[in-house]
Parts: sequence; C-alpha cells; structure tokens
Amino acid sequence: MSAVAIVGVGQTPYRRSHKDLSSRELIWSAAKEALDDAGMGIDEIDLVVAGVAPDALAGEASVERSGMMGKGKPFVRVNTGGVTGSSTVFAGASYIKAGRAKAVLVFALERMGQATTSQQVFNTIFDPVYEKDFPLTTITMAALRASMLMRLYGYTDRHWAEIASRNYRNALRNPLAHLHLDVTPEDVLESPLLAWPIHRYEACPMSEGACAMVLVSKDRVRTRTPVWIQGYASTSDSYAMGDRIHRPGATLVDLLSLRLSAERAYKEAAVTDPRSEIRVVELYSAFSSAEAMAYPALGFCNAADGPRFVESQLTDPSLPVFNPSGGPQGANPVSATAMVRIAECALQVRGTAGDRQVDGVERAVATGQGGATQFSTVCVLGKDLVH
Amino acid sequence: MNAPHSKPTVFIEAAVVEISWRDETRNLSELIFDSVRRAIDESGRGMMGITSVVLAAHDLVDGRSLSSMVTAPAAGAYLRDEIRYGDDGAAAFAAAVVRIEAGEADRSIVAAWGRASEHDVDGVSRALFDPFFGAPLGLEELHVSGLRAQSWIQAGGRCDARAHAVSRRRDAARNNPRALRDGGRSSRPSYPLSPDDLPVWADVVAAAIITSQPARVKVSGMGQSSEPFAIGDRQLAAMPGLVRAGELALREANIAAGDLDVVEVDGLSLFDEALALEALGIARKGDGLTAFASDRRINCSGGSAAGYCAPAMGLARIVEATLQLQGRAGAIQLPSARRALATGSSIVAAQTHTAVVLEGV
Amino acid sequence: MSQSDLITIPGHWSFDYTYFAGEAATRFFRELAENRRIMGTKCPACKRVLVPARAFCDACMERTDEWIEVGPEGTLETFTIITTAFPGLPEPPIVMAYVTLDRADTALINLVLGEDLSDIEQAAKRLNSQPRVVARFIDDPKGRITDFSFELLLQRGGV
Repeated sequence: MSAVAIVGVGQTPYRRSHKDLSSRELIWSAAKEALDDAGMGIDEIDLVVAGVAPDALAGEASVERSGMMGKGKPFVRVNTGGVTGSSTVFAGASYIKAGRAKAVLVFALERMGQATTSQQVFNTIFDPVYEKDFPLTTITMAALRASMLMRLYGYTDRHWAEIASRNYRNALRNPLAHLHLDVTPEDVLESPLLAWPIHRYEACPMSEGACAMVLVSKDRVRTRTPVWIQGYASTSDSYAMGDRIHRPGATLVDLLSLRLSAERAYKEAAVTDPRSEIRVVELYSAFSSAEAMAYPALGFCNAADGPRFVESQLTDPSLPVFNPSGGPQGANPVSATAMVRIAECALQVRGTAGDRQVDGVERAVATGQGGATQFSTVCVLGKDLVH
Repeated sequence: MNAPHSKPTVFIEAAVVEISWRDETRNLSELIFDSVRRAIDESGRGMMGITSVVLAAHDLVDGRSLSSMVTAPAAGAYLRDEIRYGDDGAAAFAAAVVRIEAGEADRSIVAAWGRASEHDVDGVSRALFDPFFGAPLGLEELHVSGLRAQSWIQAGGRCDARAHAVSRRRDAARNNPRALRDGGRSSRPSYPLSPDDLPVWADVVAAAIITSQPARVKVSGMGQSSEPFAIGDRQLAAMPGLVRAGELALREANIAAGDLDVVEVDGLSLFDEALALEALGIARKGDGLTAFASDRRINCSGGSAAGYCAPAMGLARIVEATLQLQGRAGAIQLPSARRALATGSSIVAAQTHTAVVLEGV
Repeated sequence: MSQSDLITIPGHWSFDYTYFAGEAATRFFRELAENRRIMGTKCPACKRVLVPARAFCDACMERTDEWIEVGPEGTLETFTIITTAFPGLPEPPIVMAYVTLDRADTALINLVLGEDLSDIEQAAKRLNSQPRVVARFIDDPKGRITDFSFELLLQRGGV
C-alpha cells in the first residue's frame, strides 16, 4: 500500500466565461500546467480521473471525455456534485494506494460559462415529486440553515458579513480568482437580500475554469517536492434536510457528514489537535454562513462558541488561516471547487502560493460540500509522510 | 495499469439484476432500493461492515442534476463513504474493488442503474456528441454502431452466420429468467443494422456486494483502457481499448481466452457484441458473428437483447457472469462454470472499456 | 484573433422526462386530496415516523409499510423569507419553512402564509422562535404538496 503525494498542480484562471477556449482546451490548459509542474509527460501517467458535475451547466453531456489524453489510458468520470473535485482526487489516490497506478492525472472542469440559465439547472437537483412546487434552491436551502444557526447559537447577520468580507479580501491576492472586490462587511449587509437572512455578497459567483493535479506513489516522488495526502474521507448523508433536523446528537446545522469525514481523515493523518496543528483551511462553503457549520465539525471550536470563533479570526494570529485563496466566494467553478481547495492547500504546503502564501504551513485541510450539504469531504495535506 | 503487488483478494458475495419496464408503482429510488436490499439479503450478512458505496449513474438518464442526492441513500449510502461515477457500471465495480485493495474498505455495495422508460434515450444519446462536430449531424451512439458494423463488413467481416447469431441471441434472452418480459422499446436501426440487432431499451438496476472476506466468487483480474476522443481518430471495428482492457484482465488472472467458461460482453448491438469477441481474442478477426452464433459460452444472458440502459450494463454483465459461477443462473445455467470474463463499455459509443475476470472458488 | 472573431454556437437542451412518483407518494398525495390528511410512514427498525410518507428508511435500509397520520399542528423549526418570484406561488415576500408535524420525526417543507411581512426583521424574529403552526388546506385539494400550507397558531396574549 503506497502513500500518495501531489507533485503537480495546474489551474486556469476562473472567470464568468472563457470565450476563447473550448472545453477540451480548458482541460488541456490545466492538465499541461500540472504535468509541467510535475516534470512529467502524459506517457508516464497510468490513469486519468475526470471530475465533472452537472452536465447541464456545460450543455455538453460527455464533456469530460474531451479531456482524454495520452494513448489508451484507463479513464473514468466522477460526478458527485459539489464534492466532485475532491472525490476525483480520492478516486485517483485509491488506485495508487492499491498499487494499480504509480502516477495519476486528475482534473475537474467547470464549464458553466456556456450556460445562460444556470439557476434553473441548480433547481433540478431537488426532488421532482415533493419539492418542485417550492422555490427550493441552493440559496433558500442555505437560508434555512442560516436561520437555524442564528436561533441556536446566536449568530447575527454581522457574522456572515465578516466572513464574506474576509473571503473577498483574501481573493484580492489570488490572481486566479474570479472576483477581485474589496468588499467590507457593511457592503455585504447593504447588498440585496436574496432570501432572509442571506445577502447577495454572501453567495458565490458562477465561475468556470479547470483544475488539475498529478498524484504519484512514494517511489515516484524522486527529486520532486511532495505534498503528502495524509488523510481523506467522504461521507454522504440523507437527502432530505428535514430528516436531519431531529437526528439525535447531530441536528441539521451540526453538519454530521463533515464531522464524520473530519474524524476519519484526522485519524488517518494522525491529527489530534486541529486548532494548533492545521495552519491553513480551505473551506468549501457556498455561502459565508455555511462556514459556521464547518468550524465545529472540523474540531476548531464548539458549536456554541462559533460566533466568538468568527470574531477572533480577526484578532487571534494563532488561529488557522481560512481561505487564503478567497475560497468559493472568490471563485466557484462548481465541478472543480473542491479540487481547487485541495490544490490551494498543496500550494500552501509547498510554499508556492505567491502573494497569498501563509507562513509556516506544515499541514493544511481542504473541505468539500455537495448537494444541500449532503456530501462532505475532508482532505489533510502536509509536508511529512505519516506512518 | 501496473501488475499488482500484494493486496487483498476481492470476492463477490451477492449479485442482483432487475430488468423491468415502466413500473409506475416504484419511483427510481424505490427501484434501486429493491435491488440493493435484495443483494444485502442474499449476502446473508446484512449491512455489517459495509462502509463503502460505489455507484454508476448519469444525471441525464435520471432526469435531474446530481441525481445521486436522492438515489445514493436508496443504495445504502447513509453516513457511508459513497462515490458516484458518471460512467459505466463495470468501471464503478473496478473502482469499488480498488478501494478494498487499497485497504479503504472491507465490504462495499456497488450499484448501477438507468430507466429507459423515464427518459428519451435517443435524445440523450444525441446530447453525448460534441456540440461543434458531432451534435449538429444528429449523431447517436447507435449510428456509430452502424459505422462500426459497416467498417467491419468492408474489412472482410463474415456475415454468413448472422441470422443464426440473431436467433441465438433472441433465444438466449427468452430463456434468461431475468430478461425483460413485457414492454421495452427499440430505436430505429441505421444501415447496416437491422431491427434484430438492436438493444431492447429497458429499466435496469444492477447491484453487487463485494468484500475482502472469502466468498464463492473472486475477482482474478481487471483491466481498463480508453480510445481517443474524436470519433474520426478511433479505430471503430478494432476496439483497441477493449483489446487492451481484456489483455490486462486476462494477464492478471493468468488465464487464456480459451480457458473461459463464461463470456458476458457488453455492446449496444449484436455487431458491437460480436466485434467485442474479436477484440478480446475469443474470436478471430472477421469471425465475431460466427463465434457468437455457435459458441455457447457467449452472452447466454441474451446481452443487450435482454434489456439495456446505460450506464448500468457493465455491472449487469458482471452480475450475469457471477450468477453463472454461483450456479444460480437458472434456465440459462452453463455446466461447470468456473471462469468468467465480463466487460463494460461506456459512452460515447464504447469509448472506454473495463474487463473483469471472475473465478468460482 | 479578436473576441468578435471567435465562434460561439447557441444551443438549447430540452429533455422530456416522465417521473414515476411510485405508490408511496401516490398514496400520500391521495390522502391530501381525498382526506386532507398528512401521512408519514414508520420505520420498523429505528421507529422514526418519516414525513412525507415514503417506501423505505434510508438510514436503516428497511421498507416502511406502516402508515401514520401526523399533524395537523406542528412546530416550525427553521425558515427563510424569499424575495424573488416563483411560478405558481403568491407574490414575494413569502415564507418557506421546515415544520415538524406532531407525531412526526422528520420535518416537512412548505410555505407559511398569513404573516405580516411589512417589517422583515420583525417577522424574522417571530418566526425564528420555533412557533407552533397548523396546516391549512385549500378548498379544493388536488393531490399536490401545495394543497396545504402552514399558519402560525396565535399565542395566548398575542405575539
């Protein structure tokens, strides 16, 4: 059973649309950059794993296959909605751990720049039998959770605004981000109300782009600088959010699927005190309020202390740094977003994150969220090999 | 894929396939639940130790984006590590096996499905082609099957046994207790295909339970490969992706094609199934139809004539092969079935291939 | 090549589907239309009453055959106030909420009507207190989830 390292990262800039590039070219751009970064040619790759979420956003039903590279390589496509980018990485890593591959190219493509009616596509994720008569959207679902967080733990809309502002300001240092806006908490609170309590600036942009990485087995690292995938886990929850409200020990906003994934990933990575051991966290929270569910699930604080945890992010330098890339609020290429979180963590651990580099990153954590927080993934990356 | 070094052997404990048509008493999730539940019951061990669920389904077939939100729970995903491949069921099976080999799980559910009665099969097939060079021509996967068949015929493929192959395929589907009985739909054939060569569109759910604990059937070898993206770049009749996948699987299992007792090949049409035999070295070049007509080992389930819906079929083929090795295939049981090869080919028009060799223990 | 030279091709995907609701959902909707009853099904393993009624419990992977009437009163667990229009629904602002009906173990989504939404923050404060609600049916139920909606039960002494 081999350990798995990331030795190459490639990302296209994230934009509303890349009018000058076909889907195949977008994939190629990220993949080539990752291969070059790894100092490898495509012939050295044993497997290609492609991550593409809703086909309807691209309007191309097998768009991932346009990313076929090399000759006769095993090629599979993953589609797990918002966690696609991370599921893709985990799938590739499994083949290496099993000894069936030494080098894997993973990529994720978001092509929603070709869609003119994205929100309608997002709305089709909900149940056509019981739910189509309601405005169930990713926004209203997030709003329902945000209200509950406010009732249970005393969060206010100011907290959501602080989180959003932090993300936008971090994105200013990330040349790849879609949005480069210096947004203050007041700007967030003044932006239009989408669905109480969510304001427009708490939501993510619709971005397109591609992300790719090269994963290798331990013996293929050779002279490259490895970022070790120390632990990862994925957990799927019940579909109906209404089923999770009365779950004993873990109500809707306790984000059980993320907590379970964190526990398993931390165990594999031998993380025992996340708050002090993790320096950077890249969170997949599609709305700033959704971050509040992640902090306790990841073991950074108790749920009831959440509001204070948000407040101390502004003042306490010993806390992990959240979303130095700007997170999904800076760019949300849905199919790729969870892979981008892992890629950004890899850059941080390797020390090649440019202007957004955080000092002294030994370990970083990336999360993924899909469905209406139904699917949660956690990936722990670090400088050291964990035995 | 590289030759494997020491890792756990993976066994199949249960294998179920249900083929139906327009059963309005059950929604998609309920249809999936029934097969997965049956597989769990058949295993005799309940849900114990199942931590992994690996699925194959396609949003456009299921009629909603991220269809796994409602379908994954029906397949046992609750608080488990579940992943859904938007790819063929045999590829999902391979991925599930790999997870156990990697030590990430000891026991896993694998499931794949598609309901032809709920969606527009031809419409979705057209949407699979790229919007610039393929879709504007109204290309469908069955058209590519026609192109494949025609290129094979022009290269000297023998058609004298064609009628016999057709009737053998039809009889096999009739005799298979699991084949579609009533309903189903067929598309219109494009030359040189005839209506008899076509798949019967149906509602298909396949499910299996695999484990690192010894059971009656083991996975001896696996291979996966692919063919270039652009249709014009592909050697349609030669199916080099299937050639490679088959070679890898047989080599890992240390078995020759001639040693196989059971062969379940995935293919949209009779020609695709016949040409798959040539790619796998089970028939000589040009003799695919002849072999199909006379070799009783091949697709005694009826193959695509028994009921077809992507992306379930690679797993359906694996299930049929498993049932043979377990001695539970019913009226179509082959005597002394000990070694089987099953294949699955994905969109677009058999672009990627998975081959799996199974052995009765 | 300038931006204006680049070729784009317009496309439109339109796929038709027939979704089978299945027996369980069909019966749920029939109970709404014919009996103005909201039904759940009980899982034999975990004993939860799941609403809307369904054929199996995914947590236990067990079939659920026992039908139980729930409500008509219940507790509003969480809500949102929607500001954008949606086809077939009243003009915004409109309240959507998860309600756990009495005897149910899961919450059900539906609209909350009859609230004064002229001051959104005030309304939010009221709704965010887990108030008691009651299901009200329309005069001519059709077997759709919109056959009923919720209304806050007036508390003693007013809000």
